[in-house]
This record gives sequence, C-alpha cells and structure tokens, in this order.
Amino acid sequence: MTADQLTIVGKPVRKVDGVELVTGKAKFAGDLQFPGLLHGYARRAGIPAGYIKSVDVALALKVPGVVDILRGEDIPGPNIMGILPPYDQPLLATEDIRYEGESICLVVAESRDAARAGARAIKIDLEEIEPILDIDEAMAEGSRKIHPGGNIVVSKNLIKGDIDKGFREADVIVENTYRTSHQEHAYMEPESVCAVPESNGRVTVYASCQSPYHLRGHIAANLNLPASRVKVVQAFTGGSFGGKDDVASEIGALAAVAALRTGRPVRIAHDREESIIGSNLRHPSRIYYRTGAKKDGTITAREFKIILDGGAYASESPFVVMKALIHATGPYSVPNVRGSSTAVYTNKTYSGAFRGFGVPQGIYGSECQIEELALALNMDPLELRRKNGLKPGDSTGTGQIFEESVGMQACIDRVDDCRKEMADAPEPDPDRWLYGTGYSGVIQGISNGAEGIDVVGGSVQAMQDGSILVGVGLTELGQGSRTVFAQIAAEVMGVTIDQVTVRPVDTDSVHDSGPTVASRSTTVGGMAVWKAAQNVKKSLVSMAALMFKAEEEMVILKENFAILAVDDSARIPLASVATAAYWTGFPLMDLVFSKAPVADYDEETTQGNIYIAYNYGCHLMKIRIDRYTGRVEVLRHVAAHDLGKVVNPLGVEGQVMGASLTGFGLAHLEKIQMKDGHIQNANFADYAVPTIKDRIPTETISVEDYNPTGPYGVKGIGEPPVAGAAAAFANAVADATGIRFTRLPITRQDIVKALQKQQEDSHGSFSKDWRR
Amino acid sequence: METIELTFTLNQREVTVSVAPNRRLLDILREELHLTGTKEGCGIGECGACTVLLNGRTVNSCLILAGQAQGSEIITIEGVEKAGGKLHPLQESFLEKGAVQCGFCTPGMVLSALALLRKNSTPNVDEIREAISGNLCRCTGYKQIVEAIQAAAGKLQRK
Ligand code: FES
Ligand code: FES
Repeated sequence: MTADQLTIVGKPVRKVDGVELVTGKAKFAGDLQFPGLLHGYARRAGIPAGYIKSVDVALALKVPGVVDILRGEDIPGPNIMGILPPYDQPLLATEDIRYEGESICLVVAESRDAARAGARAIKIDLEEIEPILDIDEAMAEGSRKIHPGGNIVVSKNLIKGDIDKGFREADVIVENTYRTSHQEHAYMEPESVCAVPESNGRVTVYASCQSPYHLRGHIAANLNLPASRVKVVQAFTGGSFGGKDDVASEIGALAAVAALRTGRPVRIAHDREESIIGSNLRHPSRIYYRTGAKKDGTITAREFKIILDGGAYASESPFVVMKALIHATGPYSVPNVRGSSTAVYTNKTYSGAFRGFGVPQGIYGSECQIEELALALNMDPLELRRKNGLKPGDSTGTGQIFEESVGMQACIDRVDDCRKEMADAPEPDPDRWLYGTGYSGVIQGISNGAEGIDVVGGSVQAMQDGSILVGVGLTELGQGSRTVFAQIAAEVMGVTIDQVTVRPVDTDSVHDSGPTVASRSTTVGGMAVWKAAQNVKKSLVSMAALMFKAEEEMVILKENFAILAVDDSARIPLASVATAAYWTGFPLMDLVFSKAPVADYDEETTQGNIYIAYNYGCHLMKIRIDRYTGRVEVLRHVAAHDLGKVVNPLGVEGQVMGASLTGFGLAHLEKIQMKDGHIQNANFADYAVPTIKDRIPTETISVEDYNPTGPYGVKGIGEPPVAGAAAAFANAVADATGIRFTRLPITRQDIVKALQKQQEDSHGSFSKDWRR
Repeated sequence: METIELTFTLNQREVTVSVAPNRRLLDILREELHLTGTKEGCGIGECGACTVLLNGRTVNSCLILAGQAQGSEIITIEGVEKAGGKLHPLQESFLEKGAVQCGFCTPGMVLSALALLRKNSTPNVDEIREAISGNLCRCTGYKQIVEAIQAAAGKLQRK
C-alpha cells in the first residue's frame, strides 16, 4: 500500500484515550476504590549495607488500624523478584541488607496513616557494615561479596576485525574516559497497585505497570499459585520510561499476598520518596573509549570498556550491559572493534531500565570521541560523521548488515541543511555569551534483540455494527501506542478511527506479549494488530463479495462501507456486511501471535544479527553560555530521526520532544546526590526534573526510510532522542567553552568553575576564541 | 480525632463534609468526595499535579489544610467540562495539539491554564511559561502544552 493511499496511518490523530485524561475521568491505579480496602506500607532498612539481627512486630501489631504484618517468611512462594535471572532480589529481606531502600516488613492497615504508624513501631535490630559504593572497590580483588556469586552482575565482550591492525592503520588516535550519573525516571505518577481477592479463588491486580505479564508471573510464583489464577489489569499509567517493571512486581506481589491473607483488597501506593529510593534508576557509568582514524577521517578502530554501576540487584543490568555493548560503535561503520561491557554490584539503589537502556551513556562518550577526533583531524564534525555514518549494506558493530532502511546519511543531510540556513551573522553580546554548536549521531536497536524472544499477541474483533475492538499485550504508558494500534486497525478494516476501541491490557485477554520495551510497540505490536485485522478483513470482504455478487478482489473497505472497486456509488454499510457475516458464520475475531526473527549471534564476540531494525538519528544543538554565571540557553535543537514511517505525527513529535528533554536533563540538570549510600535528594524540591523553564526548542525532523519488518514501514522512536540530545549538548558545551567535560551532568556550577579555572590558567583573560 | 464540619462550593455545588482538621484538601477531594481527577505526584508542592482553583487562584491542594477551604469556591478538573459533557476549549486544544501523553499532569496543567486565561485572554509564551512553571510534565517536553494553551486562547477570543 503506497503512502498516498493511506487514509489514517500517517495522519495526525488525537489520542484515542485522551478524553478520559483531559477530563480527569481516567482511573489510575491509585484512583480505584474497593469496599474494605486496606493499605500496605513497607518498613525499609534505611542503611545501605548490613544484616538483620532481629525483627519484633509485637508492638506494631497493637497500633490501632494495623491488620497484618508480612515478613519474608510469610511469602508462600520463593520471596524473589527481578525481571531477569539471576532473580537475586527478595520482596522482603530476611538476612542481608544491600541498599537503603530494602523492604523488611509490609504493614497492612485500615489507613495509610495507620500503616505508617505501624511501620514506625516495628523494632528492627540491624548490624550495619561498611557499604561498597564505588565500582572499583566492588571489582577489587578480595573485596566483600555483595552477592554470593561476587560483585560482577555480568560482563560481555564484543570483538570484530583485528583491533591492532585497525590502530596501526590510524593516523590519529583519541582516547578519553567519560562518566554519567544516576538519573531518576520521575514519571509523574508514583508506583501504585491494588490487589483484589476474587470469589473464584483468583486474584486480580490492578497496576500502574509497564509489563503486566512479568507481573503476573512474579505474583503467581510468590503466591505459589498457577499463573492462570492471577489476572493483571493495567490501569491508566502515569508514565514509566522503563521504571515500572521490577518495582511493580515487588509491590504487586506483596499486595497480592496481603490480599489473599486478609481476604480484603490491598493497595500499595508509593510516595515520591519511596519511588526514588525504592525503585530502579538509570545506571551511572564509566566508559573508556579509544578511537583511531586515517587522515581523511575514515575510522579504523575503536576500543572501549564500559562499566555500569548496577547497584544492589541485577534488575535489567544483564540486558543494559548488552545494549550498551552492541551500540558502542554508534551509527558508524567501524571495521575493527574490541571492547567489554560490565555491570557491577554496589550497595546503592538498584539500576535498571530507563528510556534508552544504556545507549545514552555509551552514545554520549562515543559522540564526544567523534568530536574530539574531528578536532584532532581538523575536520568538520558533521563531515566526519557523514564519512563514517552507516549506509545500506554496511556492517554494524555486531556485523549485522541491513540492505534497507538505513537512513543515517539522510539524517545527517537534514541536519546539515539546518546548519547551512543558520545565519553566519555575528552573535549578539559576545563579551558576555559564549556560543557553541554541538552534534551527535544516534543509533538505537528496535525490538528485544539480544534480550530474548520477541512475540506479541494482538486480537481484532469486528462487532455486528461494524465497530472494531482491538486487544494487544503491550501497554499504553503515555507514548500513544493505543492510538497507533487503533490507526493500524482502522486502516486495514476501512473504518474511521472513532469506530475502533483499544482495550486496556488485561493478561486474560491476549497471551503473553512480553515487556513493553525497546521501542518495539509500534513495530512488533503493530504487526500483530495488522495481521489479526487482515484476517478479520478477509471475512468481511468475502461477505461483501457475496452481497455484491462480485469477485473478492473487487471489494474495497473504506469509510465504514464496503465499496465496489469499479463503482464508487455501489456501497454497503460495513455494519450490514458485519451483521450478514456474523449470521453467515464468518469468523469475526482473530488472535495473532506475531514474532520477530530471533537474534542470532556469537556469545564470545557478540557478532551476528541482533535487531529487526535500527532507528538512526542526527542532532544539532546550538547553545550560549553566560560566561559569568554559567547559565545555559539552548538556542536551537534539531532532532532528525529515521523512524521508517510516521504513523501519528502528533505522537512522534511528542516522543521526540519528551525524550529530548529527558536527555537534556541527563546532560545538564539531573543528578541523584548520593552520600555514604544514602540518596540525599529523594524529592522534587531537590531533584531537578526539567520544568517548562528548562524547555528546549526541539525541532523534529522525520526521515522515512521504509522498514520492511514493521507495519507500513515503521520502526520506533520512543528512546533514541534521549541519547541524541544529551550528546549534542555535551558537544555544544565543549564547542562554546573549549573545555571537554567528561562527566554528565555538566551543570551550571561545573561550567562556572571550569571557566574560572580556564581564566586563571590563561592569566586573567578569557580566550576569546579558543580554537585559534 | 475531632472533626470539623466543612462547607464550600465545589464545581458550583455546595458540599458539606465532616473531616479531621489536619486533612489535606487533596485527600478530601479524592477520598471523601471521590473526585480522583486531582492527582498526587509529590505531596510537597513541587509538581502541580494536585492543582485546583481556590477562589479563582491556583493552589497545590496537597498544601491546603481542611480549614483553609471553609467557605471557599473550588474548581477541580471535574468542573472544567461544560454542561452536557462538552469539553472546554482548553481540553479540546490539549487533545488537538498532542499535549497529553500519560495524562497524569494534565488535570493540573488544564487548571493552571484555565486560571491564566481567565485573567489574561491573550497570553504570550512567557506568560504561559510563568503560569505553568509549577506544573511538571515528564512526558511531553512542554512544547505541545504551550501550543494547546495558545490555541485555546485563540478559540476563546473568537467566541
Ligand atoms: S502533589 Fe501537590 S504539588 Fe505535587
Ligand atoms: S503527560 Fe505524562 S506527565 Fe505530562
């Protein structure tokens, strides 16, 4: 189907579940009410490392309103959580304390206040030990083991070509070490679940969550019940960005256990402090890069060592390690590569999935390298990217070759166009403001790839009135996937979008569709909907052909009608067709299991085919810095991405803007302050979530390089701009100041300090133009 | 604990509730009056998710204690829709411009915008920025929210 024949895909469409949201009628998990509702609240360790010597709940049980107190021993199942093996995290700690947010008891009470009072009344005797807070200390020979298997969560290598030969061929070599800090998801809705015991022996858990099937599995295991006895329903979810996975399984399982013990519904709703301390953060990183190139700019080799601070538990570290590894060469063709990626345990809040999934950290370092290389080669930074940027038929860092849908060069071209049109006029007030422009190249794998099998269930059902009900096992988190699924179903079925309803995810309705991650909703989920819709469409077309007494090829479904191809006035309302199809016995529902090709690569070298597609991007950021106060203003930000096909322009722009601001936050504003293993700023007064005053003027450019593995050629766009904006900002600061900052965030204070030092070093005068 | 009798006008209807004097207005709205459109994002006045209009001015309902609501006039997101369930132009514009993603910040955003448009029918970008600077949104990057408020101002002008 060519683009000009599409009626809904590619058009700006309002969010299909938007009315509920703008009117306040949408029910988030914390809004649900059930008769007899109890409230759960966890008593946490409050120390980063130690052992539990004793726990006494006798007094706490006497606190008015307290109904029950759970300890680890009370969990019928194995008392473990974690998205992935090694499943090393207890729901309720029974022996070791590995981070300050560790839950030890869950108090269940008639009110939130009573639960808190109960938690305070529990007597816990802890033996505190010296926490391990530094990655080097954690990796040092003979250091205390945070987990029985040691302090390495996982370590993987990537080996391609001949690294020594690559560096021998290089005329110029740059190397540096880059660091990034913890970042908090800061979704506006803190985590919340509500578990309701059902009369039929089942339990239903309404959750603010990202991956309901993970949740179902964890809850069932910890209840020691078959998974078929557990139903998870995703409530409206106020953002997730990777964050509502582990923690949702934690509170979901605890609430379910408490609900079955007490026979009453139980809500666990985190406050903001619990949300920051007691759920995963973005991995801090230390990344060493060494890159070699010929005089003409051709990159010949790259060596790297990525170390991620995983915190107290594995969470999704094993996958984040892989993702950082796979993306370590960026969107460039590099023939000789050798490097490793490692996650390390420390006694801090655990790190896990966060929009970008290890890619922003790596791309930041990698793109600093590109810019440093451009300086060393005295070459234009965009030209250098163009020279090495991936093209169809090139080999990625893992040796995967895509013959199609590699839009990197087009992204660079579009950014170059913007640069050309930027006036070369002198900038105002140069005595006060330092001006700089930075670029970045981005790549982000679409689909689960090396993270496991990628399957999604999608169901499409036509009602007798011709309206369509869609069910998909992937969650709407604000990213607009429900709207995209509705568009795809409407496009296939020839109905207007108001005829389509996409139901909330409920684990009873479609089969396990895995996690909603990896920018895969539109691509893999959309494919399931597309296929299921095609099958239902067949029934309607067959019925219409009978009614028209024409060949099936002559029937078109369009605008809620079946229409005869040769005569646009020959129309039967789809409602009549659907009703007739129903009474004739044509199937009007289909459930499809859509599966992406399985990743196939060598475990030792990480060479092979990983993803079904990549999103490519190129960013430009122009800033100015007040040289006296360090204040940064972003004057222009261009984000060009090859996303295959735009399904909903409104949604794409929203994703690019939102992800870019999160990237800007990572690079400039946001920092978890950690002191002796305690988070100091676990609230929104002290943790700087970007406000509208920090808004950046992002311009979204979409390059549509058709992807054969996605419906209508689509890829995904949810994550890549995070890396793009963060790296472009770092490079813009370097361009403006002449100082290469090697740690994110680069805060205003960092900039002022560095400028002062620069001034002192140059004997009291600012170097007007450091480049000369 | 002792309770106080609280009477105020909520979305143009008089209501009376009996609550502990230290209850937050946010809890009274959500738990006593079952109006859950007002959200709690931080509980300390930093995120704006709990924004309501109190005597025409935006307040963070997580910082308002029961007594302060006595005799006041309060508008929550549930009171923004026009009669007959017709969306307010602001709500229309939020949908039209893509200003809603997860929607958790949306009720607060809409109320802050409403307060702005009531005193300033032609706000410029800086005034919009100021008006919603107390409302955090992690999803949208704010651009589409600004556009939505501008569009709504235009629509209200033309009326
Ligand atoms: S909940 Fe009131 S300002 Fe955040
Ligand atoms: S739309 Fe999600 S916080 Fe604003």
